[in-house]
Amino acid sequence: MRNRNATAYRFLAPYLLIFSVFWVWPIISSFMISFQATRTVPWRFAPGFNWGRLIGDPAFFNALKNTLLILVIQVPVMIALAMVMAVLLNSPLLKARGLYRFAFFAPVVVGEVAYSAVFRLMFSLDFGIVNKLLNSIGLPKIDWFSNVTPAMALIMIAVTWRWAGYNAIILLAGMQSIPEDVYEAATLDRVSKLKQFFHITLPLLKPVIVFCLVLSIIGTMQLFTEPFLITERGGPGGGTETLGLLLYRQGFRSLNFGYASAVAYTMAALAIAITLVQLWLTREKQ
Amino acid sequence: MSSLSSARLRRSIALHLFLTPLALIWLFPLWMMVIFSTMPDNGIFSPGIELLPHGNFVDNFNNLQRDTNFVGAIGISVSVAVTYTFLSVLLTSMAGWALARYQFFGKGVVVGIIFGTITLPYAVVLIPQFIMVARDFQLANTWVALIVPPLFNSLGVLFMRQSFSMMPDDLFDAARVEGVKEWRIFLFVALPLARPMLAALAIILFLASWNNYLWPLLINSQPGSMTAPVALGTLIGLTKVSWGGIMAGAVMLTVPMLIVFVLLQRHFIAGIAAGAVK
Amino acid sequence: MATVTLSNVVKRFGAFEVVHGANIDIKDGEFVVFVGPSGCGKSTLLRMIAGLEDISGGEIAIGGKLVNDVEPADRGIAMVFQSYALYPHMSVEQNLSFGLRMTGNPKADTDRRVKRAAEILRISELMDRRPKKLSGGQRQRIAIGRAIVREPQVFLFDEPLSNLDAELRVQMRVEISRLHKELGATMIYVTHDQTEAMTLADRIVVLRAGHIEQIGRPLDLYDDPDNLFVAGFVGSPKMNFIKAQIVGRDAHGVVVELAGQEKTRITQPLAGAAPEAGSKVIVGVRPEHFGSAGEGDTDLVVAIDVVEHLGGTSFLYARTAHGEDVVIQRDAAKVPTTSEVTVSIRKSYLFDEKGLRLR
Repeated sequence: MRNRNATAYRFLAPYLLIFSVFWVWPIISSFMISFQATRTVPWRFAPGFNWGRLIGDPAFFNALKNTLLILVIQVPVMIALAMVMAVLLNSPLLKARGLYRFAFFAPVVVGEVAYSAVFRLMFSLDFGIVNKLLNSIGLPKIDWFSNVTPAMALIMIAVTWRWAGYNAIILLAGMQSIPEDVYEAATLDRVSKLKQFFHITLPLLKPVIVFCLVLSIIGTMQLFTEPFLITERGGPGGGTETLGLLLYRQGFRSLNFGYASAVAYTMAALAIAITLVQLWLTREKQ
Repeated sequence: MSSLSSARLRRSIALHLFLTPLALIWLFPLWMMVIFSTMPDNGIFSPGIELLPHGNFVDNFNNLQRDTNFVGAIGISVSVAVTYTFLSVLLTSMAGWALARYQFFGKGVVVGIIFGTITLPYAVVLIPQFIMVARDFQLANTWVALIVPPLFNSLGVLFMRQSFSMMPDDLFDAARVEGVKEWRIFLFVALPLARPMLAALAIILFLASWNNYLWPLLINSQPGSMTAPVALGTLIGLTKVSWGGIMAGAVMLTVPMLIVFVLLQRHFIAGIAAGAVK
Repeated sequence: MATVTLSNVVKRFGAFEVVHGANIDIKDGEFVVFVGPSGCGKSTLLRMIAGLEDISGGEIAIGGKLVNDVEPADRGIAMVFQSYALYPHMSVEQNLSFGLRMTGNPKADTDRRVKRAAEILRISELMDRRPKKLSGGQRQRIAIGRAIVREPQVFLFDEPLSNLDAELRVQMRVEISRLHKELGATMIYVTHDQTEAMTLADRIVVLRAGHIEQIGRPLDLYDDPDNLFVAGFVGSPKMNFIKAQIVGRDAHGVVVELAGQEKTRITQPLAGAAPEAGSKVIVGVRPEHFGSAGEGDTDLVVAIDVVEHLGGTSFLYARTAHGEDVVIQRDAAKVPTTSEVTVSIRKSYLFDEKGLRLR
């Protein structure tokens, strides 16, 4: 290939421009802001002002706890569920596959606001359909919004509902790229379908599963809309305030840009760290 | 081989028996959304279990429109999403084309940076973006503010790069030998060949723009410049509001996208799967 | 004048040199074939002439004009690719006219050129079809048509027949020959098939591992190869190579004894200085240059392994007493029925240990 510097950059220019202005510069700027005291004008350089506060802030640790809780419980459950969906969708015995695919994937198409609104109605204490159904089979109504545990559960249910199908599609695509003959050979060797799944499918799907996990981790660390809209800006006593919500509150309600930047960078660092740990744990053992 | 086929039948029944309730549970919230949008407010908040549609959609819609100019907000959402999709597809395909088909000075660095930003969470850039757009550029509550910042989209660039590099080199060499300029090659040979990928990309981008909540919430908070999701969101926290209206709004936001999805399921899924299984 | 001149052309990929100082002089209207095994650099050379690869060293001139830094489109060339590279989303007519349309050529002129190309290649009925509805041979013609439409000084062909089946290849070879006569343009053709080279070329450039082994007319390469590689590459079945050593000189030339066979000696007239006695050499004999016993310089006894009957001609695959494999061509009527046969060597070539021809 010939070197075509000028042409290449002309094609890249518009994109690179937006990229530099709206991504590269903000990354640097965010880092700088986190070291500045922003409650007074002009902003002054004060390295310990925000970071110091972060280390001792109970609100931060509360948000961190909530976020990690969701990460540790909801993500694995969702991925497992997505795997089940993918396996079942892949079955050659399935009729009307498009219908089932639509059912599981449709939540992705629905906007966050729309479905948050529906969930609020569905889980309402006295008039929500969920409590009505619970009642009809003899179980007591649950106050989903005023107690911390049900509120967290509600968020996890909502997020799982939204994203399981998306992950299922990705896993399904991965499954379908595994050649048939591998399974045929195993069947001829009288390996049971269950064993085939654990010893053939899962190992071959590892990169795809890791990909889904990474996406989920990054998404969960930033979780904002669901806690914001479903549990009314952080739930009972901040019980469902996630790091994303904290960021919003500090950055855009209290306008503590410096502190919010510190929170943002912590979120990013945590996400990257967890991802790296996870990648390392699931690395190919030579 | 009747034993084989009856085993298959049993497995098939078991499969459907398990999957069908799961699918129904999954569809339940969407169903309820539609139902609620057709019920009067006192019906929504009644003690009984209602699972079938009523006839109050129009009333609810009127309530919605009264509470917030929803139709106006939808108009803004549509124009923003269409413009955004067009510009974003253009920019990402141009960038993907350059990365796929040319050698140039600094290529490794550019690719590296773009790859690197995939892992960085949006949260990190959100605050500076806000400060920049609202304070420095003075562009809060404008159309431009909604379209330009999200134009950055690394997965899109990598997707288009992948698509273009799979095309045969000879095709473009032949065009070059014929004297066709690079931008014409891009426009008249590469883009037509990339039509299915462009379609998948466009759908995903349109959806992202249509549903985008956080950024429009922050930057366009004035009533006349809100997008539809933001407008709807402002109603959710209020005490004196028509929930039927909110549901009507939710339906208006969602159903068009669902229809598009049904019609273009193939492209949707292709786009998402391609990004992952690379 | 559509001449093409390569002076010390070098190509490097990073630190790795793939073409080492090529010097080729192509005359106006000549049909030159670059031939050689995979990886010899023939396609790279062609692409450098086309301008699709940068030139690492040396100069290339087309029509007397230096083109090192000139864009492919401005070099007065047209190229036919191995994969045809037809635009799949355009009709045949659009494929042919694409380049001209994109560069602002007047419509009337474009139409004229397309029509002419279609007539020459006899594809006028295919104008509205899409490439995927065409056969391999038809696509090949469209690819050539695209080149004709440019009315170039030099046509470049990059292994155009490699994707066709054997029968079609023979047909298309004839067509390309005919095209050359009709257009009279300079044509540079790359192939790995020595048969195509022999039948199409005015002159052949034989390449190996980035070096030019020999340039010459087909029959010259066949009858008078410069080295072992060219001798073995041109001609099918390959020339036989038998180990031997020099035992001395006599009035007619240098005397060579085939390895392990004291009675088999060949006398080779040598114009230049001969290597000293005892040095190892290689004797090359083409399958058709073995005669019956007594016809030639010396007799050789061989044991026959396999006989291949091709109809009018047959090939004997045999072994010398020393264990070397030889291929002998015989008329079908004269195939021996015994397991052993004595043949004579009517004509041979002498090569030194390094493969250089001793003349």
